[in-house]
Amino acid sequence: MSKNIFRISPGFEDIMPDEYKELVESGPYGKDLGVSDMGTFKELLEEHPLCAGCGLALSLRLILASLPNPEDTVIVGSTGCSALAFPQVAVHNIHSLFGNQNAVASGLKRALKLRFPDKVKDVVVIAGDGATADIGLDMVMQSWFRSESITTIMLDNEAYANTGGQESGMTQQGAVMNMAPKGKNFPKISLPEIAREAGCSYVASISPAQPKRLEKMVRRAILTAREVGPSYVQIFSPCPTNYKFKPQETVSRIKQHQKEGHYQTKEYINTAAQEYLASIEEGKKNE
Amino acid sequence: MYVAARVDNDKCSGCKVCIFTCPDPNVIKLNKEAKIVAINEARCKGCGLCVVACPKKALNVSS
Repeated sequence: MSKNIFRISPGFEDIMPDEYKELVESGPYGKDLGVSDMGTFKELLEEHPLCAGCGLALSLRLILASLPNPEDTVIVGSTGCSALAFPQVAVHNIHSLFGNQNAVASGLKRALKLRFPDKVKDVVVIAGDGATADIGLDMVMQSWFRSESITTIMLDNEAYANTGGQESGMTQQGAVMNMAPKGKNFPKISLPEIAREAGCSYVASISPAQPKRLEKMVRRAILTAREVGPSYVQIFSPCPTNYKFKPQETVSRIKQHQKEGHYQTKEYINTAAQEYLASIEEGKKNE
Repeated sequence: MYVAARVDNDKCSGCKVCIFTCPDPNVIKLNKEAKIVAINEARCKGCGLCVVACPKKALNVSS
């Protein structure tokens, strides 16, 4: 997995699709690009099948633009809406069985450490709330207990959106869904608190309404996972299709939830991670 | 009727807020020299997130 892998094989230049050629020419590989540079480079191929106004698609774009080392990153995904955009992602990625993503990522990270002992290889799990907080919670928590060096990013759209709108553990209490017509009986799971208690060195909850802060948190989470221990980022990504609001209201809905206190931006960093991140961020300032 | 977003070049300041809020890649691109954004109308889904986010009210999706 060197930066050369993103070159088109000789002889195939003429037959590759234009989108792919453009990706090779203007992708983020080997350049220090971030969210502020979006619009000048290409982070995934065009025309993903996610709905108009999808908060999850917006979060995914911002995450991909925030990766500190995209050419040496492997993304592990799971069943859900986000998996629909994964074929267009220009980073090595694996689709795992529903809920198994953290177990697959743990093995992959260990294998990469053995295969490339002198190289930095990031393994990032990107999955929805069903895969992280419900079906995969066992594997997710066990990976945190074992202190696996992986970053877990949950795209929290508060529903099983891909299968018609069932309630998930992350759905707000009382929310009425297509397939939960009586409203949810139980409160939303506090996964950031669970992550902290389960041994994550870095925990954050954020939304795509704050793109630059999201970038900072995703980068911090990945850097922490490299050197200190597991990290967890929860990103609130509302679903216009299942919650039946207009696509243009996604960001305003996030802000409304934040104002009402249903979703808060939080960051927890343990002492070891704090020291490590401070040394990196100070070094960058001095450059 | 499907309507893609359009940009009013006179109002656009090139702040890139619309690029940060677009859920689709490479639909809105920045023209660095002219300091305005350009929309790929064939690929825009017309969700209108950029219209709401634009501080200069330079974008619209209404026909």
